[in-house]
Amino acid sequence: MASTDGTLALGTGTEAPARPMGVFARPRNTPGWRGWVTTVDHKRIGIMYGAAALFFFLIGGVEALLIRAQLAAPEGKLLSADLYNQVFTMHGTTMIFLAVMPIGAAFMNYLIPLQIGARDVAFPRLNALSFWSFLFGGVILNSAWFLGGGADGGWFNYAPNNGVIFSPSHGIDFWNLGLIFTGISSLVGAVNLITTVLNMRAPGMTLMRMPVFTWMSFVTQFLLLFAIPVLTSAQFLLLFDRLFGARFFDVSMGADPLLWEHLFWIFGHPEVYIMILPAFGIVSEIIPVFARKPIFGYPFMVFSGIAIGFMGWGVWAHHMFASGIGPISVAAFSVATMFIAVPTGVKILNWLATMWGGKLKFTAPMLYSIGLVTMFTIGGLSGVTHAVSPADTQQTDTYYIVAHFHYVLFGGALFGFVGGWYFWWPKVFGFKLSDYHGRINFWILLVGFNLTFGPMHILGLQGMPRRTYTYRTGYGFNFWNLVATIGAFMIAASFLYFFWIIWRSYRQSKVDAVALSGDPWDSRSLEWMVPCPTPAHNFDVTPTVHALDDFWHRKYDEDENGRLVRIAATEDVSQDGSATDVHLPSPSYWPFVLAAGFPFVAWGLIFNMWLCVIGGIAIVSALWGWVVEPSVDPEGEHGPHDDHHPTADDSPAEAEAGASEEAALVD
Amino acid sequence: MTGRARSTTARVIPLAVGAVLFLASCASGDNAPQDSLQPESPQARTIYNLIMPVFAVAGIVFFLVLFGAIYVGWRFRAKDDEDFAEFPEQVHGNFKLEIGWTILPALVLGVVGIFTVITIFDLAKKPADDAITVEVIGQQWWWEYRYDIDNDGVADEIITANDMVVPTGRDIALKIQSRDVIHSWWAPRLHGKKDAVPGRIHPLTIHTDETGEYIGQCTEFCGLSHAEMRIKVVSVTPEEFDAWVEAQMAPVVNPQDEAAIQGWSTFASTCTSCHHVRGMTDPASVDGDASPSTATAEFDYPDLINQVAGAAPDLTHFMSRSTFAGAMFDLRKDTDECNALGHTWASTEEGIEKCLNRTDLEAWLRNAPEMKAMYAGESMTPESRGMPNFNLSEDQIDQLVAYLITLK
Repeated sequence: MASTDGTLALGTGTEAPARPMGVFARPRNTPGWRGWVTTVDHKRIGIMYGAAALFFFLIGGVEALLIRAQLAAPEGKLLSADLYNQVFTMHGTTMIFLAVMPIGAAFMNYLIPLQIGARDVAFPRLNALSFWSFLFGGVILNSAWFLGGGADGGWFNYAPNNGVIFSPSHGIDFWNLGLIFTGISSLVGAVNLITTVLNMRAPGMTLMRMPVFTWMSFVTQFLLLFAIPVLTSAQFLLLFDRLFGARFFDVSMGADPLLWEHLFWIFGHPEVYIMILPAFGIVSEIIPVFARKPIFGYPFMVFSGIAIGFMGWGVWAHHMFASGIGPISVAAFSVATMFIAVPTGVKILNWLATMWGGKLKFTAPMLYSIGLVTMFTIGGLSGVTHAVSPADTQQTDTYYIVAHFHYVLFGGALFGFVGGWYFWWPKVFGFKLSDYHGRINFWILLVGFNLTFGPMHILGLQGMPRRTYTYRTGYGFNFWNLVATIGAFMIAASFLYFFWIIWRSYRQSKVDAVALSGDPWDSRSLEWMVPCPTPAHNFDVTPTVHALDDFWHRKYDEDENGRLVRIAATEDVSQDGSATDVHLPSPSYWPFVLAAGFPFVAWGLIFNMWLCVIGGIAIVSALWGWVVEPSVDPEGEHGPHDDHHPTADDSPAEAEAGASEEAALVD
Repeated sequence: MTGRARSTTARVIPLAVGAVLFLASCASGDNAPQDSLQPESPQARTIYNLIMPVFAVAGIVFFLVLFGAIYVGWRFRAKDDEDFAEFPEQVHGNFKLEIGWTILPALVLGVVGIFTVITIFDLAKKPADDAITVEVIGQQWWWEYRYDIDNDGVADEIITANDMVVPTGRDIALKIQSRDVIHSWWAPRLHGKKDAVPGRIHPLTIHTDETGEYIGQCTEFCGLSHAEMRIKVVSVTPEEFDAWVEAQMAPVVNPQDEAAIQGWSTFASTCTSCHHVRGMTDPASVDGDASPSTATAEFDYPDLINQVAGAAPDLTHFMSRSTFAGAMFDLRKDTDECNALGHTWASTEEGIEKCLNRTDLEAWLRNAPEMKAMYAGESMTPESRGMPNFNLSEDQIDQLVAYLITLK
């Protein structure tokens, strides 16, 4: 097995001698929660992303259930009009910005460095800042519930309804500020992961040898890099309008409210691909493993993803077909939108072609992946029906659209993510989720999902508008709304089941106490050549890559008849995590402190400027500390560690904590 | 893995059931007045004829993918772990296939695109020369309709709300606008929706072939009572329409009976800072003991400083409408007998007696904010949206109703 020099040093700063900020001594590798707060390890950050996103997903889920409970029958009285408007606004915002995007970020953070054979991301502390800004952005957004009520203008918050005069509560200010800070998270993460992919790949890992997941994530990061600033700009204008009496969106001063629509959707449409592309990447990893075949048409998979990324910028006005833009604009955006279905269709057919002729094993991850392929197809096809803009004028802002994007974001993104959880869970936590229960859970979720969102197609075509807190009997809405509500509670039950599966699988792994191999699925990409759970330093030695699916080709080769033969035992081509002399970036307080200043700035802008001073002090001192702090602690402990071997006796959590504790120390 | 056969079946069943239910529900739309798949105008039919083939193609593609996935899943399933351990042929791709399934969908979509573009420009055509211009003005949370009857470019002849009365067989050139936030005007059986954006005027041509009522509602989220910002297009014969125009342009008549005169005074003192009745005389303008019913001096409306939108429904000929409060409530009772009376339901005492929805109207006057979610506030301010509770006495409410029913 070829390998390069095992010491892949990260960062620059071993030469900095001083130990600044003596009072605030640099954190060492503290176990427990402090270790998590100061960590710069991309895996721990990925786990925190996932955990926080799941928490927000629960909040968004409760909001969804409130919506469905209200609409279970006509003239629902559970929520007032005002509260309903807040709940659906917060549901959309939470699910998009605090659940689906960060779940994608969790996968990307954890997997990209592993898949490209890197030690960590390019800028580990920035990575921590990404996570903490996301978390505190989410805190700002949701703190609205306790400080006067949530935003009530819809997740798209069209002007001028988002102005102070029409939405006098502070909900939209929380929305604005919360998303500006999660925008920092996305932007910093995009810079970080793009740099990581471009600069940190292992020797031989050419771009066209990168796993499809990394490719799709790479495209996603470029979309974030260019899309988020557009939203942030619009939000700054709105922020100035609302808090300082600027008049950017004041129609009486000559503003055109379509400006906000354009800005929002120039962000908002690439955002759709930001949410779905990582899931496309995930199923592109899962299907080959359980079909025992390489991905069909790898270059087409990559380039269709890139094509989606580019074309995603030319279709935003299909959200505005009824907005009054002229027929030439409508025609152009109609046709552009139709053709974005082409690369998407290529992906669907390539997944099916990957399965064609394979040996399919219907594990839980595989079922969720096939779930994505079929359910996303529904969302994709209903998307084509919106591209037919005259028809869209009948469909837009009805439940047909609600059905469409839930098939895309739930049937697509979320099914892919859940499949990804089942698939990579052993790599992250060192134990497998019960496949038996996972398969049952899949069917419950699939049925619940289709019961909830399938009928919404009908409701929309029957003319039920979105974002209405009530409907009347006599419109044909009653039956299907009840069905959708029943489905929604089935989805809720299936997620409770999922959490139970996690708990039960964890218990079971303790009872069984069988050490998991690094490669439980007989997989293809580099992350499977390191132990489960991943040691803190990832690779003992940086692998040299010779092919797409390099790890697979270390295990198998083709004989003269083109049949696969095993050429090496998996153990022999895997790494056992017993690295010595690994340099790792040192933990830091500063990303956390910096981001912790954000809520105070936000609350200060809303309530009392003095709070901004507190936030400002935190931010400025964190920036200062960060700047003068070398990326690797010169006083940190150095030297080889040879005692890190997760054993059967270690609980996964302990193994994880132990791993990072020790490995991060070595220098 | 004995469960695999069962699980594939289990996947087919719910989807098949769903498909059947979907088709069944599309077939039975009699009780769905807002159904976008039951077009009743040339424009709506144009859209319908465009989308139905697209639905069909999309449906075929979906079932091909779905059954393709099920077929592939069934045919290539690993029989057991031993079978799974054996390797299938390692196919990395097929350039010709890839090119094929890139180009084929592009061609299909190209065809759809051509018809789409043709339809877009078809629907954007200018209305016929004899079209009636109606300004459609959205505000939180009701629609105002202003008619340009004399074609002088100023729509000031008829100002009404909630019900838009149109004749069959003529193009109606809508000029859709807003006084506050973005709304969207949508009567699905007549046309697709068009946003009402403040500061802009958006044209939309509608045309009815048959008399009847066409239901719709606002479809761009516009704040608190977005769900209750309803639309009703009342299509009548050209002769009835001419009669309606004549009635709408006729001056209002001073009320004669005592309760109505009392109500008129209350209206003049309480309601006129928002609501107008065009041509109303001032009940306080008469001298001494003369009855206000003899008043001839035109009422001098105060400047309207309250309400964000700067307008409230014009109540001239109020009783020619079938709904009130943003078409949220029926003014004319929703019974077959009353509906059969059409827009002239209140022209007779008997019609009023039988068909006036007195309950809701009185409740509205008693405490409007309780009836509809609004930002009315305790008192009228420039930020108000909607009618506040004026704490009227029951006598005043009765008198106001007595006055309102004179606004025929």
